[in-house]
Amino acid sequence: MKKKLLAILMTMAMTFSLAACGSDSGETKEDSGGGKETSGDEIVIGCLQDITGSTSGLGISVQKGAQAAVDEINENGGIDGKDVVLKTYDTKGDVTEAVNAYITAVTVDEVSLVVGPPVANIANAIKETSESYDTPVMGFALDPTCQLKEDGSPYKNMFCFQPSATSQGQIMAAFALENELKTFGVLYNQENSYSVSLLDPFLDELKANDITVDENLIVAYGAADADYKTLLEPLVSAGVDAIYCPNYTQQLVAIKTAADELGYEGKLVCGLDAAPAFNTTYGGDCSNVYYINNINTDDPTTIEMSDEVADDVSAVNKYFLGYDVVMIAKECIEEAGLEDADALRDTIANVNGYKGLTGTITMDPETHMPKDMSMFMYTYDNQTPVMLGEFGI
Amino acid sequence: MSIQVLINGLATGAVYALIATGFALIFNVLKFSNFSHGATMTVAAFVAYFLVSAKGYGIVPTLIIGALAGGLVAFCGEFIGFRRILKNHSSATYFFVSSITLGTLYEGLVTIKVGSNFFNYPQFFEKSTVELGKVVISTTDLMMLIISTVALGILAFVIQKTRIGRALRAVSFDRDTAQLMGIDSTRIIQFTFVVSGVIAGLAGVFLGIKYTLYPSLGSLVVKGFIASVIGGLGSLTGAVIGAVLLGLVETLLLSIMGSGYSTIATFAIMLVFLLLRPRGIAGSNVQEKA
Repeated sequence: MKKKLLAILMTMAMTFSLAACGSDSGETKEDSGGGKETSGDEIVIGCLQDITGSTSGLGISVQKGAQAAVDEINENGGIDGKDVVLKTYDTKGDVTEAVNAYITAVTVDEVSLVVGPPVANIANAIKETSESYDTPVMGFALDPTCQLKEDGSPYKNMFCFQPSATSQGQIMAAFALENELKTFGVLYNQENSYSVSLLDPFLDELKANDITVDENLIVAYGAADADYKTLLEPLVSAGVDAIYCPNYTQQLVAIKTAADELGYEGKLVCGLDAAPAFNTTYGGDCSNVYYINNINTDDPTTIEMSDEVADDVSAVNKYFLGYDVVMIAKECIEEAGLEDADALRDTIANVNGYKGLTGTITMDPETHMPKDMSMFMYTYDNQTPVMLGEFGI
Repeated sequence: MSIQVLINGLATGAVYALIATGFALIFNVLKFSNFSHGATMTVAAFVAYFLVSAKGYGIVPTLIIGALAGGLVAFCGEFIGFRRILKNHSSATYFFVSSITLGTLYEGLVTIKVGSNFFNYPQFFEKSTVELGKVVISTTDLMMLIISTVALGILAFVIQKTRIGRALRAVSFDRDTAQLMGIDSTRIIQFTFVVSGVIAGLAGVFLGIKYTLYPSLGSLVVKGFIASVIGGLGSLTGAVIGAVLLGLVETLLLSIMGSGYSTIATFAIMLVFLLLRPRGIAGSNVQEKA
């Protein structure tokens, strides 16, 4: 009896001590802005990101960029004299967590607006829920379906502040053609909206230039697949000039490894997620990788800011996106105020000629995405990024 | 079907065989499926990764570190999770529950340490392919195939030809009688866990190299479990055959049918197989299945 009692007491003691430890760390992680709630002297901006999970490198980078912008704004007197607080919510790369976090942000913490994720799956998950509230989500989900309903009208709160998948797919295809690549294979994740959204624009642009990709060389995979070597084998056997891989970094690392192990000597044309830290994570020669990026690493301002954060941020382009969007938010809040949600949304939808670190942003109010925004194509010299030029559609 | 796909299937099967053998070893002795095996693989793979990153070791030290880490984790796991249940002669259900709890604990500890991020082992080979005549083979696949085969060969030798191997077989047949015959069954069980952990460590490093390294890597243990069921739970030979078959079938179907259908077809084939031969390939004398 005594032993049983002792066991129960020990179990309870352990549970309480662990719970105590857990609650401490949770607060630190959740509230990067210092744990302040909304009050009359503060403007609280939510930051909904994958702080953990396979795309956490991207989410943390956006969060750090957003925080840097918030710090800079506060150092310069805040917004209309009010301090800005950035409150971070971890989606854990999970759509259910993301929806719950969004609802907590807008209903419990009553944030003024949300800096959204650079991950289309997460944005897709919250777009319908966001319709029930009046809080704008200023994100980076390049899949147009994250911003647009089936009838073509925009979700009222969903905004994207980088070129859409349509633009990026077209730019990558145009770049590939300019570089004399003529035959292509594709390996894409059919369960991921980022990957799927980049497929058709790339193929359509090729088709517009009289190049058709053989259906057998368009290979889809799912979340359960990890054997990229077998998936790539028909593309490598066909001897294509380039394999188009619109995938996340973790998959790209595995795909690049598999391609090398198959002796593939052609090019890999990749999306944003092949930007650094892909090179350091992969750890080998990345010279056959082409990728698209938001930032010009030859620009002096970009170089200076990149150097400042290089040790602390894994995806510098996402850091700049986070920084830019908070600065845009500041301008919009100053112009429209926070009292009238429609006025704020309208101002965000009509951002015109904002000169940021990721380029000049002019929003299209019809699509809630930027229009006529160029991007940069890169490759690597072994592991060093090399900018190849600016491209626009 | 190309030779590369075949080699890839064999290499995958060889890694599954390592997982399945670790499973089968514990099942043989204690008659339960040790679901902490997957998390043991993960812990060992991460320990090896961090030491490799810090010291810049090559593939051989990495595998040795992974194997030692796996052995150590399994040794501690046996003491914490199973020893008392063993002494009390409790039913297999308690072992089963304890193994799941232990696995969750290991995975949680790894997640606390590394977050949910992924990691990639450094490039171990200067050349990623080996040319054998006209055939180009992945160096990693070849390495996995060879090392797994050697490891399984050593294990078979130890079990069949050595004194401790005979003791292990005796304990697996009847623990109490073996004890009466002068065999320290507790030590033998401890030894079995360590061997199982060493194999798990090797498999963890291989899986990390093949699929990148992440805290839920151990979920691939399901493949080893399926392989050991197909092979006949508790049979080491069956586990190896089942694993190689599973690896080959999976790879061939993926190559022929593409993603999606191949997974369904693989499991459908396995289900039909078990319908026709419920005791698996080996169909051994195992009575109790958890």
